[in-house]
Amino acid sequence: MGYKTEWLKGIFPALVTPFTTGDDAASGVDEAAYRELIRYVLPHVDGMVPCGTTGEFSSMTLEERKRAVEICLDEVNGQVPVVAGTGCKSTRETVALTEWARDAGVSGALVVAPYFLKPAFNEVYDHFRAVDKVGLPFILYNIPQCAGTHFKWWTAEGMLLDFENTIGIKDSSGDLPFMEAMFEKVKGKVSIFVGHDEVVQAALAAGADGAILASANLIPDVWQRVYKATLEGDLETAQYWQQRMQKLVRIVVRCGSTQAVKEGLRMMSLPVGNSRHPVVPGGAFRREDREELRLQLELAGVDKIKKAAVTIDLGDKQVETQVFATPQTPRTIGGLALKVGEGFAGPPFTELAHVDLLLGLKDGPVGRAIDRSLAERGEERGLRVINEHPRTLLVPTVTLRTAKQRRLFENAAAGVNLAIRLSVEDGFLPEGILDDVVLIVNAFVHPAASIAKRVEFNNYKATRHAIRKALEGRPTVAELIDEKAAARHPFRYAP
Amino acid sequence: MPIKVPWLKGVFPALVTPFVRKTEEVDEEAYRRLIRHALPHVDGLVTSGTTGEFPYLTRQEQRRLVEIGLEEADGKPVIAGCGASSTHEAIALARDAKEAGASAALIVTPYFLHPSDKGVYQHYYDIATTVDLPIILYNIPQVMDRYLPRTVVEDLADLSNVVALKDSSGNLTYTMELLEYAGDRIDFFVGHDEVVLPALAGGVSGMILASAQVYPEVWQQVYRMVGEGRVEEARALQRQVQKLSRIFCRYGGGVAVKAALKLMGVDAGVPRMPLKAVGGALIHETRAEIRLELEKLGKIPVEETDFEYPNGPLAGRFGDLEITPEIVAAHGLRVGSGVAGEALNKVQIDLVAGGKETPLGDAYALQLTYPLHGREALTTILEPALTVRPPTLLLPALPQKNLRQANMIYGPTQSAMARAIVDALEAGQIPPTAVEEDVMVALATVHPRALDRHALYHSVYAAASQALAQAFAATE
Repeated sequence: MGYKTEWLKGIFPALVTPFTTGDDAASGVDEAAYRELIRYVLPHVDGMVPCGTTGEFSSMTLEERKRAVEICLDEVNGQVPVVAGTGCKSTRETVALTEWARDAGVSGALVVAPYFLKPAFNEVYDHFRAVDKVGLPFILYNIPQCAGTHFKWWTAEGMLLDFENTIGIKDSSGDLPFMEAMFEKVKGKVSIFVGHDEVVQAALAAGADGAILASANLIPDVWQRVYKATLEGDLETAQYWQQRMQKLVRIVVRCGSTQAVKEGLRMMSLPVGNSRHPVVPGGAFRREDREELRLQLELAGVDKIKKAAVTIDLGDKQVETQVFATPQTPRTIGGLALKVGEGFAGPPFTELAHVDLLLGLKDGPVGRAIDRSLAERGEERGLRVINEHPRTLLVPTVTLRTAKQRRLFENAAAGVNLAIRLSVEDGFLPEGILDDVVLIVNAFVHPAASIAKRVEFNNYKATRHAIRKALEGRPTVAELIDEKAAARHPFRYAP
Repeated sequence: MPIKVPWLKGVFPALVTPFVRKTEEVDEEAYRRLIRHALPHVDGLVTSGTTGEFPYLTRQEQRRLVEIGLEEADGKPVIAGCGASSTHEAIALARDAKEAGASAALIVTPYFLHPSDKGVYQHYYDIATTVDLPIILYNIPQVMDRYLPRTVVEDLADLSNVVALKDSSGNLTYTMELLEYAGDRIDFFVGHDEVVLPALAGGVSGMILASAQVYPEVWQQVYRMVGEGRVEEARALQRQVQKLSRIFCRYGGGVAVKAALKLMGVDAGVPRMPLKAVGGALIHETRAEIRLELEKLGKIPVEETDFEYPNGPLAGRFGDLEITPEIVAAHGLRVGSGVAGEALNKVQIDLVAGGKETPLGDAYALQLTYPLHGREALTTILEPALTVRPPTLLLPALPQKNLRQANMIYGPTQSAMARAIVDALEAGQIPPTAVEEDVMVALATVHPRALDRHALYHSVYAAASQALAQAFAATE
């Protein structure tokens, strides 16, 4: 019979694992970065999970997994329980690693369903039965998105009640009917943890004992608010924070979680490197996701990215501004004659936005181009100044032919103006430069676009990203060189 | 394998149903013209199938299509699609078909409410025992969200008027399993255009296809060749129509067929709402691809093109940007040119690079506001949101007359140009100062009839690399 422990509750981060360099399998765990990350989350969490899915256990050698757990135990030093991810594909390996973890002194193990070869349910059951014999308290881990098998409630119920050392289940499926079945069958007998960041508040309110989360690397304090508010019966507060974090966690859960968390931490000045291959920057975690994640981390009340002073050098004058700065933000921005930024936002396909943005001095090439094109071809080409502060020329990439296309381009214009307004507010376009610089926004609206609100919002996103990228000089040459091999242009291939 | 119904073999088009623009009424005349177009090459007709948008047709309309089909079929069999989500309705449709004189009823797996296996059996059993008409079972999980269960087919095959199964899944493991269990009692039709040849080789008796109204003669040859054991020749033909077949199966179905027919001069009208003639499931880009493939098949004529690769002095090739040889000299602009590839894949890249604050910076900004008509400049990107440095515009040297030409520029040309630039950055060929201080414009001359994206990518890469090497040679 499994049992419920006092300590298995609350918020546990599924720690990412910083690696020393790139994709070299022998490179090992970056101990200093790992310790720094643990110190960052520790004050806000009830336990620690090294080497979970977010920790990229499946890309680590056994030695590295052991090393990560040792570092975590040492740094945590008994302040909170440490639950080590010890799941492997085969029973043999899983038992061996769980035995090691037991001897190393962890509080428990988080054991993922055996994956890849899709064993039958009774084979899954017997796998965990073998783990049970190790004698270390352990948590069953259901993550069908990765493992390929979704626990059936009767398998989970059997494993939780038949075994000696099961203390809980972590369900990362996001399948609330499954969680409800777990509450029905085993609530109070073992701990039930939610592992899907998009439904944390719903699961806690329904009766979950805690959460093991990828996003708890980034915002452990916010999750602690949700957890405590739920315990206190303050559903309104809990719902508020879940909803405020929904976009952030959707990006983390669905857009390459390990890389998303790592890049988020890097933007927060906690450098933890990249994910190991085959996960790559700009892969499942797309560049537009990076920009959006950054904006979410800047939100008031989240405050993970702080403002810093940046000087914009216009040549004949310097304007100081405060912007939400990442380690990539230059402290002085020059070369304002002509800056190029690109933004892309979607889906859906027909409502996607693509913006080529030029930002430059009014009396430079950008300003001259605006004046000349308006004078010579403005009407004919559908060119329009949509903002005077800063002066902004909106150009349709694709000629507008129908009334519907013209109507939807108005939505694009509204999105571009929203991006400008918010960039003025957040300091990237400070008041002091608005009379000196001008913008050309060349915006693509698909001829078959339909959903007006999406056209507007995608153009807002693409423009906001493009403004920042133009000023910060991104992508950098280093990023281009690093990412060139894997780049996949969507229109390069035949259907 | 005994053939229960002697005529049940060969090539049958799943006819689209033409609708009149705006009113969405069935266009009977267009339907007749469509049938006359396909009839010489087919063994029979199929009315109101999935390709015929049957869920959007009334019972009266479906009956009318069968009647027109019979009038036009010149004695060839007409199979009536009688699919419905309710058994009651399917029976009514099958009765109509019988009365009108159809040769068989094609009946899709009941859909929407997800009936159990027992319910599916009962559906077909009720129809078969109520209406005295040969019944063809129809498996199409792409739209029904379920397979017609094998064990159900195994039992249905015992009913005397269940004569065949049409399998549109494209899943040959399913087809082979069904042939194993019911092949002794019923015939099989392949309904997935991408796997016609392997299905025929595996033992099906014929095909009911969307594309059998676009290139029925190709399928007629494939059918005959397989029968004669000429597999090599059949493979070559299947491969010739593979991409179009894929488009019809996956990117628009009947809508894509209607677009193809229209390009061929057979106006089969528009679809009914909520389907769009173009811009919905069938996107504009795919329609451009259909045209290209029909040109390759010889179904529509190829426009002749007259053009030249730029061949004057290099510094004089940028006049469209108002960059003259004098400006090149006065501002120390770098120029380079490269040519690579053969025939349709021959590409020329003429490149000019220089400081943002020279007239090239003005030309760069102006191109994004004031494009040359049909020659819209693109920012050079490895992929969206991965813009190269120094900022580079790619300008088509020839006016882009259609989306198909534009597709060659947007994807393969743009990404190959980008890759050549980033490789030159990595090799140190482009100096670090240029990254912040310069802009570049590349004029790309791509053959207007280029259509091999893969070959084009490699041509552009090679030509761009030459152009960059020449432009930046002086600084090394």
